[in-house]
Amino acid sequence: MPRIYFKTADAHVDFAEGEEVNVLRMAIREDIDVPWQCASGNCGTDRLVVEEGAENLDPPRRRERARLGELVDKGYRLACQTYTRGDVTFSWDPDQVGLDDEPGTSSGGSRAGWAGSG
Amino acid sequence: MAELMSRSEFRVALEAAFSGTMAKDASFSRAWATGKLHKQHFVHWATNHYHYIGPFGDYLGLMYANTPDHARDAKDFLLQNMYEEELSDDRHTDLLIRFAEACGGTREYVQNRDNAMPFAKGMQGWMYYVSGRENFVVSSAALIVGLESQVPSIYRTQYPTLINKYGFSEWEAEFFDLHITSDEIHGERGYQIVLKYADTPELQQRCLHFVREAADMRFAYTKALYENYVMPDLGPWVEEDEREPALVG
Ligand code: FES
Repeated sequence: MPRIYFKTADAHVDFAEGEEVNVLRMAIREDIDVPWQCASGNCGTDRLVVEEGAENLDPPRRRERARLGELVDKGYRLACQTYTRGDVTFSWDPDQVGLDDEPGTSSGGSRAGWAGSG
Repeated sequence: MAELMSRSEFRVALEAAFSGTMAKDASFSRAWATGKLHKQHFVHWATNHYHYIGPFGDYLGLMYANTPDHARDAKDFLLQNMYEEELSDDRHTDLLIRFAEACGGTREYVQNRDNAMPFAKGMQGWMYYVSGRENFVVSSAALIVGLESQVPSIYRTQYPTLINKYGFSEWEAEFFDLHITSDEIHGERGYQIVLKYADTPELQQRCLHFVREAADMRFAYTKALYENYVMPDLGPWVEEDEREPALVG
């Protein structure tokens, strides 16, 4: 069975062979503490480093490319925008916030403080 | 009498309740995914879809009012869902109209209720009924698990076709891209609410009943789209591998 390993939380989710699953959905389903906010590719709170298994992920689409910019080339993906069809390992900074809420960035368009779920 | 199911049993039952009649398998969806539709068909689709999902914020608002204070996580989820439909980014109905315009339609045409099928109006009425009159757990099961959680499976098949076969830009087709992922999360959170708060056998059974009904409604609506708008051009739907060789392509 393919496995998503959420290394920072030391937790994993298995899914059926032949399926393609959304990474954030699986984390929420199994109550794994991946940070997230908007689920729409806007905030970047759920950016994860792909440590292994990048070849099993679908390529980033427009919203994800626009939000992550050069972070895509550094091996980041947004959990809410990413589907996997095979084994993959992710890590992240447990304290990370939305990309517009990072110290030193403007908060234009940010929804921080509103949607506190996740 | 039915017994109270465990969370995992209930989840399997919910998934089974709509799996036989998934809208992605209806003729209109199949014609779409296999590249058979014309742009005018998409204008009709967008117009009907507008009248079916346009008031989604209203439906969620009614559900919000019906949700008791002790279910604060459910209330917050509904509020967040409403906010995401309407305000967090581009308004979702504006993205739908953007797509219709890329197909040659106009905002006025799409928003005119007279241009929608009776089926779309029926779907809208059903959504108002369920969200306004049923227990919040049941309406969450119907609208979020039964309908919204189906969306990613439909659009994940249709979106690549829109880009690669029909030649739309990612910007023109953004409505679909956005819903592929946001409805994964809305759908999953809907499951969590239903699994948590459907805590009697009666509520569980009523949820299952309305998930089935939701799936039937959407399937029938999608089939009607084909019959009303596509059949006059393409004839009855026949799957590719069932077609006579001369008709393939
Ligand atoms: S949760 Fe905001 S970009 Fe994924």
